[in-house]
Amino acid sequence: MKHLIHTLNKAFDHRVRLGVMAVLMTTETVSFNDLKDILGLTDGNLASHVAALERADYLLVSKQFIGKKPNTTYAATAAGRAAFRAHLATLEQLTADSNGLNG
Amino acid sequence: MKPAPPAFADPLAQLTEIRAIMERSSRFLSLSGLSGVGAGLVALAGAAAAHLYLQSHYPAGYVGLLDGSRAERLAALPFLLLLASSMAGAAVLVAWYFTRRRMQQQGSTQPLWNSLTRRLLVALALPLGVGGLFCLRLYLGADAGLVVPGLLVFYGLALLNASKYTFTEIRWLGLTQTVLGLVAMLNPAGGLVFFGLGFGLGHIGYGLLMYARYERPGAAAAPAA
Repeated sequence: MKHLIHTLNKAFDHRVRLGVMAVLMTTETVSFNDLKDILGLTDGNLASHVAALERADYLLVSKQFIGKKPNTTYAATAAGRAAFRAHLATLEQLTADSNGLNG
Repeated sequence: MKPAPPAFADPLAQLTEIRAIMERSSRFLSLSGLSGVGAGLVALAGAAAAHLYLQSHYPAGYVGLLDGSRAERLAALPFLLLLASSMAGAAVLVAWYFTRRRMQQQGSTQPLWNSLTRRLLVALALPLGVGGLFCLRLYLGADAGLVVPGLLVFYGLALLNASKYTFTEIRWLGLTQTVLGLVAMLNPAGGLVFFGLGFGLGHIGYGLLMYARYERPGAAAAPAA
């Protein structure tokens, strides 16, 4: 069981990053503000985690302007989706194992 | 999401939270049951208004309109279109009011017009718009009796389509309306009664059930996924 925990993806070792990926699995693209609202976060908090996911190539950032207002939207990359699914599978395996231990 | 995250919470808690976020980000779950009750009352009032108007203009009322000439149906069209659009407008207004109130009660920071409500409305409006045009054509042709059954069937299918983006329970309302529409098809003379049953009592019943299930004080907070 110990080694399973170590296979958990380091890029996802924060609940905000998991939350961002969870949203992007169900919606193709999401704006920064919508993401902030869905997850109930502040600007700075979300920005740093999004940047970490972008560095890992798990999400694509596109910046446009609607009139004069900047509008940043995010989408999960194929690699991001695959990594997230693998992470979920590991989590599920971990819960299955602990269920077994608890009877 | 609350601050101060433990780096590795219990995996089960993580999975539960992920599922909750995915559910929240793909479905609009603040639709208030009271909007359904309001829409149902609007529909009943509309059916009553149509009945009174038709009774005063045709000796045989609704059936008289169905059996009337094209010119007679054209004469009644402005009233019926006005009635239909006021009913739709009133129903949307009621839905908007109760849903906004529910979002405020839930402490939601999202605007009512967000990507989820947009998707929900497009899913509803597309089949409904097509159905409306189709029924208009039926009315102008010689098949006015199929207008109410057609509206019920298209509305039912629109709800089935929209159930992907809101409470799954709305599927049952959609199925009810569709089946009611098919039964009404066999019974064109009873159109107004079926209209009242489907758009009126159907909405009220659904709304009360949803209210009792999720909104009544002490009801379960989160819908079943």
